Amino acid sequence: MARQPLLFAAGLGVLALCAALSLALGSRSIPLSTVLDALSGTAQGGDADVVTGLRVPRTVIALTVGAALGAAGAVAQGVTRNPLASPTTLGINAGASFAVVFAIFTLHLTHPLQFVWFAVAGAAGAAVLAYGMARRGGDLDPIRLALGGTVLTAVLASWTSALMLASRRTLDEARFWLAGSVSGRSLEVLYQVLPLIAVGVLLALLVSPALNALALGDETAQALGVPVARIRVVGGLAVVLLAAGSVAVAGPVAFIGLAAPHLVRPLLGNDHRLLVPGCLIAGPVLLLSADVLGRLLVRPSEIEVGIVTAFLGAPLLAVLARKVAR
Amino acid sequence: MSTLARQRRRTLSFSAGFVAALVLMTAVALSTGQVKMPLGDALAALFGVGDAGDVLVVQEFRAPRVVSALVAGAALAVAGSLLQRLFRNPLASPDVIGVTGGASFGAVLLLATGASQALTPLAALGGGVLAAVLLGGFAWRSRMAVTRLVLVGLAVQAGLAAAVNLMIVRFPAELAGQALQWTTGSLYGRTWPEVFGAGSAIVVACAAVFLMNRRVAVLDLGDDSAGGLGLDPNRTRLGLLLLAIVLASLAAALTGPVAFVALAVPHLVRFLAGPPTPATLALSALTGAVLLLGADYLVLHLLPVKGLPVGAVTATLGAPWLLVLMVRQGRLPQRSRS
Repeated sequence: MARQPLLFAAGLGVLALCAALSLALGSRSIPLSTVLDALSGTAQGGDADVVTGLRVPRTVIALTVGAALGAAGAVAQGVTRNPLASPTTLGINAGASFAVVFAIFTLHLTHPLQFVWFAVAGAAGAAVLAYGMARRGGDLDPIRLALGGTVLTAVLASWTSALMLASRRTLDEARFWLAGSVSGRSLEVLYQVLPLIAVGVLLALLVSPALNALALGDETAQALGVPVARIRVVGGLAVVLLAAGSVAVAGPVAFIGLAAPHLVRPLLGNDHRLLVPGCLIAGPVLLLSADVLGRLLVRPSEIEVGIVTAFLGAPLLAVLARKVAR
Repeated sequence: MSTLARQRRRTLSFSAGFVAALVLMTAVALSTGQVKMPLGDALAALFGVGDAGDVLVVQEFRAPRVVSALVAGAALAVAGSLLQRLFRNPLASPDVIGVTGGASFGAVLLLATGASQALTPLAALGGGVLAAVLLGGFAWRSRMAVTRLVLVGLAVQAGLAAAVNLMIVRFPAELAGQALQWTTGSLYGRTWPEVFGAGSAIVVACAAVFLMNRRVAVLDLGDDSAGGLGLDPNRTRLGLLLLAIVLASLAAALTGPVAFVALAVPHLVRFLAGPPTPATLALSALTGAVLLLGADYLVLHLLPVKGLPVGAVTATLGAPWLLVLMVRQGRLPQRSRS
């Protein structure tokens, strides 16, 4: 019984450690004492500027995006009753990517700040499409939702490639954004989408008790008095808001949404009232550690976090799958 | 029994129709292009008769492209059918289990080293096999659990795709464009050595699939029954899985990972001809060939935008088709969920 609060506390501890490492480590290492001084405003000089000017925004963005993606993954898997569901597999990332690349292609955009609402619109559009495909007699068919998402991703990804092949300028602008990164993104971008993410987290927490009933199957949930269709819509909305917000800030970062719930489930069990908050912690832990790793691996250069999460998440998921699936 | 007979008749008539379509499409593909020539001249040129210029164009440029489309389309379709049946999962396809990602990875890595592009098919095959080895290494235990395979496949795919992405980001723009072209799937600039190499291997692998097809049917009865009939279910499944992986890698080696053919064809064939039989496997191969050749014709001659990768077209065409199927069927046939 007392295990869960302990696990949450441990999770928060790990998260704090990751955040501290993210502030201290990079192309140059800064001692934690200097980091603390810089945060409290007592330190001056190059190191302090790096901490407050570059690493704090980056860490804050990684925390937010990671939490949003983690929660989005947990809700997506609950709503679809499909352990493979995630913002990536439902086509949401692909929708955002295509919208941004299309905007770069037609409107000659050059700055991530300009990408924000295209990313949000693309993510929302893709999600609505995936939903439309999965609706059957007013209800949502989990298998059709997953298949529809896969279909959508394939189409949108190939259109994105075609646009990038058609214009060298688009390729140059887009390929860095498409890798997914939390560096060099301004807090301004985050502030624009923060309301979306906040509402998304709220909705995710609200639907999580009902997701437990949904896990028993639609008929049973209905018999228990759970409004299945409405829960699906609200849960879907939460996924869209969270995924769209995080894509707009960091670009498509794969795998956090898929991996976080699989990481949390063995620890906290299948209760969504614990799973969703757990993923709010596990998501940023994954994203931050991936980001720090990306900075350390090829110092003084760095690898985009979207690429690191995929590298890191792939074997993790493989190991989990090996253990979990009979 | 009458349903069986009806199914056989439907399969046969669709196969006959697709064979006719293939002959017609091949003839049209050989005779159209920037150099215009009548159908008769094109066919004569195929056998080295007629104007030297025509012969060059048909024999060296058009024919290898057409043959690649036919062979790769068929290979992808057979690989997809086999995978979906083995996994009992309508989503299983070379893309899902990581083979596509592996092939892309191999080819792009070759681009990165600056080695001759003639080696691309070999590199793609190597990448596909690497993906298969990773898949096997992670997923293999005393028995092959389907869920685990699909999950691990997704993981392998994601890891390899990340490696490709990393290279695309780091490449100079020139190479990045080339890498992107390849990873989207394209029939551009195929040459005879590539076609013969990958093509003959595909023919052999396809023949092996047809020979082993009866064992798939036994596996369908369930592992216990299959064991009772004297078939080692795990070893059989592993062999068939390897065969599907080799087929998909070879197809990718020839054309790049053309999206959707492997995923869509089995659904299409089930819709046209009903549950799988040896004959429907042949129909799948035909359907894949028709689809890819048709898509390539579209890319070359019908679209206003030039130089599109054929993968973009197969995805665009395949998607609505699959969606219509989904709507009409109500629910996709699925025998077991695990």
